[in-house]
Amino acid sequence: MIISIARKEFAEIVRDGRFKWTAAIMVLLLLTAMMAGYQKYTTAVRIQHAAQAGTNQQWLDQGDKNPHSAAHYGNYAFKPAGPLSYFDNGISNYTGTAVFMEAHKQNFAIGRPASDQSAIARFGDLSGANILQLLLPLLIIFLGFTSFSGERESGTLRQVLSMGVTNRQLLWGKALGVGSAVLIVVLPCILVGALALSMAQSVDHAEDMVTRVMTLSIAYLMYAGIFLFLTLAVSALTRHARTTLMVLVGFWAFTGFLMPKTASEISKFIEPTPAFGKWMADMRAHQLRGFDGVPPFAKFARYTKELFKEYGVSSVGELPMYFVAVRLQKLEEYDYPVFDQHYGMIREAYTSQRKVQDQLGILAPTLPLRSISMAISGTDLIQHVKFMTDAETYRRNMVVKMNDYLSRASVHLNTTYSSSNYMRADEEVFAIVPPFEFEPPNLNTMLTEHRSNFILLFLWLAASIGLAVFAANRISLERN
Amino acid sequence: MLKLIISHETRQVMRTGALWSILTLLVGAIIFASWSGGRSIERQTKGAAAAVAFEDGLRNHLRKDTEKYAAEVEAAGGEYKFASVRHSPGSGPPQGTNAGAVGAETSKYVTLPPTGLAALSVGQSDIQLNYLPISLATTLDVTKNLELENPINLSTGSFDIAFVVIFLLPIFILAMSYDLLSSEKERGTLAMILAHPISIRELMASKIISRAVVMLAVVLGFGLIALITVGTGLDTADTWIRFALWILATLLYLGFWFALAVLVNVYGKNSASNGTVLAGIWLILVVITPQLVSMLATTIYPTPSRMELTIAAREAQTEAEKNFMSKLDEYYYDHLEFVPEGDAKAMDFLTLAQANNNSIEKAVRPLYDNFQNQLNKQEALVQRFQYLSPAIMMQLALNEVSGTSADRYEHFLNQVYVFHVEWKEYFSTKFLQRYPLKPADYDNFPEFHYQEQSLGLVIARLVPSLIGMLILFLGVILVPFLALRNYQVASR
Repeated sequence: MIISIARKEFAEIVRDGRFKWTAAIMVLLLLTAMMAGYQKYTTAVRIQHAAQAGTNQQWLDQGDKNPHSAAHYGNYAFKPAGPLSYFDNGISNYTGTAVFMEAHKQNFAIGRPASDQSAIARFGDLSGANILQLLLPLLIIFLGFTSFSGERESGTLRQVLSMGVTNRQLLWGKALGVGSAVLIVVLPCILVGALALSMAQSVDHAEDMVTRVMTLSIAYLMYAGIFLFLTLAVSALTRHARTTLMVLVGFWAFTGFLMPKTASEISKFIEPTPAFGKWMADMRAHQLRGFDGVPPFAKFARYTKELFKEYGVSSVGELPMYFVAVRLQKLEEYDYPVFDQHYGMIREAYTSQRKVQDQLGILAPTLPLRSISMAISGTDLIQHVKFMTDAETYRRNMVVKMNDYLSRASVHLNTTYSSSNYMRADEEVFAIVPPFEFEPPNLNTMLTEHRSNFILLFLWLAASIGLAVFAANRISLERN
Repeated sequence: MLKLIISHETRQVMRTGALWSILTLLVGAIIFASWSGGRSIERQTKGAAAAVAFEDGLRNHLRKDTEKYAAEVEAAGGEYKFASVRHSPGSGPPQGTNAGAVGAETSKYVTLPPTGLAALSVGQSDIQLNYLPISLATTLDVTKNLELENPINLSTGSFDIAFVVIFLLPIFILAMSYDLLSSEKERGTLAMILAHPISIRELMASKIISRAVVMLAVVLGFGLIALITVGTGLDTADTWIRFALWILATLLYLGFWFALAVLVNVYGKNSASNGTVLAGIWLILVVITPQLVSMLATTIYPTPSRMELTIAAREAQTEAEKNFMSKLDEYYYDHLEFVPEGDAKAMDFLTLAQANNNSIEKAVRPLYDNFQNQLNKQEALVQRFQYLSPAIMMQLALNEVSGTSADRYEHFLNQVYVFHVEWKEYFSTKFLQRYPLKPADYDNFPEFHYQEQSLGLVIARLVPSLIGMLILFLGVILVPFLALRNYQVASR
């Protein structure tokens, strides 16, 4: 019985002109988005590889100079595109792509693509993820909103019920029918996407790619399921097809457009993002007065005394290491806790904003799905934070290595301290700093981090199925 | 007769629950949007104030040192001298007498003030940093900082009045007018009404006008309240002219959506299919077309890669440095503070550092100019393609009116570049002359005064968007009114 209901529903939808139009538009958009995304992705991968190799070479070829000057010359970390960024570009347009790593300063990532695009880029990317998050639900609504209320209006619902079909059979039959109509639109696109994927040179992530795609597919299927059952539920609960449509489109606009922005504003209210000027002033002031209130130079004077005592010397000239290099490194280290605190503050603000927004997913299923999708595509905040952390670790290590070398190699200069007297190092010395490599957070970490989002999505699905069953059970011959 | 119908329709509309819930939602959205837009602008203003205060504080500190020094010189007699560059505490004249040190170690933050309407359309102002540090550093150092907003929030976009007008209002309009004729037809009342001496055009017009009037009253009323609560510069003509332009753009945009509802009502079938079509059109015009145009613009004129630019600029910089510094000491160039006391050669390092900056700037300038050129082409393409969607036209128009557009920022940047040169010249000249800065000189440092874009220019930039929307509105409204005479009153 379920099968024949499904077959009837499916045939009815597929023969409808509405279906042909929406399906054609949807397929066209999905393919365009995938293709454009794929093209952008391959370009991005190529450029990133070339740029990182280029900067690594520039570091070696910077010309003979003092090791500490080399640390000033510094190096760049270029952010690789996420493994599935051509499907979901996530927040990549709004995070910097290059971090300058130099002595004395921790830097933010620069080169935010959105800053180099027109204002209309703010309307969002036409990506596979965007289409599935926004258009797919509308497609489901369009295909399914008349399933009960339409039949009720035309009087066929009474007939079907009088034939002894149970309410459950009716519901599952219709779900199956509408669901398969949706699938025949989406499946070809997913296949094309998978094909593009197998062609993509994302070798770095090859081993967990299958898991990623599977997890993504499950998340999007759950999302589609939520809208499918909500559509059937509302259709069963409302008397007129036009009311069904208004309620569903209203909900769609609420979850897809209104809630993301509302959640963002609410999270900013609960945990304000510091303004650059205020943040910068606070951090610089903190640097000047010293992390614990002792200014760096005073702290270093104290350290010098200890150092002299430790080595039992009374002048710089007797020290077994190059004093200037020691000073450089110490002053560098005094800044670590200040950087950790102030940069950490921003990171924490971002993270708790993200969590607030995820929690608001209880009101809108698009929110948890969006987070999951970005995370698995490797284009979300967690990914970016990890990149920034890796860059800072690299920077500190680079500076330590250079100062250390200077400290050991220039001991003899302690006594002849003048501006014409300094050591020069060459490529061989610079080579002790290994090239920068970004280690993306692994998939398990991401999945654990987003467990609550999966739970939310599951709850939404369970609730919508529950509502659909409840609504279908209410249908009775007497009331129609 | 028309008046009677309108008043009847208005009364009828006002009595339906749906209308009140829509209006409540709308008013709620406007209030929320003004609040969040206001917060966004306030955050920027506070950030700017903190940055200015911090750097001015540093300079003031240096000035106090020179005051003390001047008093000492006054008391002991002798010459008011120029200090060598020194970071660690030392004796002798204070750093504040050295224009090179003052110019290199402190920045002057210059600010782009928000217009009175900035809170109504946050636009690009959450991406652009509206306060920039001016010092002896290179131009690139002036523009490298970014505002710190969470990338998730940037990618979601602001919930400002512009969002309410562009995204939500059309939905509300469509929700209250998708079934103007079809519902009467479905209930069978249409034929009865038309039995009275009224044409279907008059009926349609009165239905639309009654709804439009209610909606406009709410939008304009609450828009005004929003301006008064979160707008600034309410005593200036500039703000009110901008607000008038805001109203004009909003009227045209809303007009288009009402016209579209009429069009679909006239050609549509039943209410449900009207609803489907209108929701689909909304999606295509407000969401998909802008995204497509954006994709098109970045495909035809791809944004050059910042990564490649960075590498190329670094290459040029390295070359410039190698040539320039080949015989000189790069080490002390980075660490003036470690130049030993009384080292004759030492003083030259700041000179060198400046000269080196200049040569780097010359070397990388063409690269950045080329980059900017490509971006301008992209922007021009978007300007041409805006006519494909009223939402694009409206967004560009509102950014323009609120002064949160890319071109106003560029207008600001160009002034900043000029000021940067002036600032650099002031300090490097004084430094090269070894002129000891006196306390009084601190009052005569160059000042930045932002020259606002002329309103004429703003209007000129608005005109294409406004005309585009007007044509779209007229085109859409005209068709159904010509076609209405053939409307099938009773279902066959």
